Amino acid sequence: MDHVQTGITGLDEMLFGGFLPQTANLVEGAPGTGKTTIGMQFIYNGIVEFNEPGLIITFEEFPQQYYHDASEFGWDFEQLEKDGKLKVIMTSPEVSRLDVESVGGMIETSVSRMGARRVLVDSITHFERLTQDPVELRSLEYSFINGLKREGLTSLLTRESPTLLGEASHDDSNVAFVVDSYTLLRYVEIESTIYRALLVLKMRGSDHAKDIRQFEITEHGVEVRSKFEGREGIMSGNPRRMVDSFVEAFVKR
Amino acid sequence: MVANGDDFTARLMNDMDPALLDFVKSKVNSFIKWDLVRFFYENPNTADTVDNIARYAGRNATAVKPELDDLVESGVMEKREVEGTSIYSLADNEDMRELVDRFILACEDRHFRVKAVYHIIRGMR
Repeated sequence: MDHVQTGITGLDEMLFGGFLPQTANLVEGAPGTGKTTIGMQFIYNGIVEFNEPGLIITFEEFPQQYYHDASEFGWDFEQLEKDGKLKVIMTSPEVSRLDVESVGGMIETSVSRMGARRVLVDSITHFERLTQDPVELRSLEYSFINGLKREGLTSLLTRESPTLLGEASHDDSNVAFVVDSYTLLRYVEIESTIYRALLVLKMRGSDHAKDIRQFEITEHGVEVRSKFEGREGIMSGNPRRMVDSFVEAFVKR
Repeated sequence: MVANGDDFTARLMNDMDPALLDFVKSKVNSFIKWDLVRFFYENPNTADTVDNIARYAGRNATAVKPELDDLVESGVMEKREVEGTSIYSLADNEDMRELVDRFILACEDRHFRVKAVYHIIRGMR
């Protein structure tokens, strides 16, 4: 099966070629880890490298913010909108849910008029304000995601994690069970320096890299680098050198 | 005959592109509508409820609703009813979008803004 390449250096390799077509792909991380940048890059590369028009559905940030942030990487979103290759839609979870379920809604119209193939939903976390009931929330998210798939879209959904460092706190969202792939972004502290780490936790229907990789946000966007060598407990945010763990476990006894 | 001061002012204030003059007098005839038109110019693919649009614009939903409905009535915006929810968006009409673009670009000129403010205040009397 052909994969939908993100065009992000190192990430497609981890995904063994990219996301699967018409799937929902969750990228979760703390503020500033690079979720939206990965999402914008997925959309931008889709348009300029693979001729796949895209949509960005934003529930909080104004489109102007995306134009500005994208321009920092040299991506001209305003021009892409004028060219009919991109549409940045500002709306709310309640309206987007109704829209995707209705015939002739804005998303359906955009897909048919623009030939949109990719969508960034930034962020799915806002669905949590629709209901306090986790069962109902899962149903709402499931229905919305299926609507996007029905339209033939490969979606990248961002999700906010409140935890800056350390283990993620438990919450009621089940969205990770509903999506097809789940990528986790984390800050990691090593010798008083903060690094960014990326891990593909699951990917339905395809194998993927299991290692935890370091990534950076460069002037060209996100670049996934090599895995963290000689460390353990990376996702805890406070990794230890494996040799230290060995000494503690066997030598100091 | 010498024109009085009011006539002179009116002629001076009417001295703008006729399409924009009509747009200001009949469509963007309040400051809230002006704000809303600017918001939708900057965020042209926004589609949302009154409450959320009011929140984005930093205004009260009670004040925004009649203004949005006026903009729908005058063809600047569109309203869709989905499962009992009213969703507002900028009219998907090339001519109207071009007029909105021209209005906002014209507003970069101070003299035009003064004239637009004059007509809005006169219309509110």
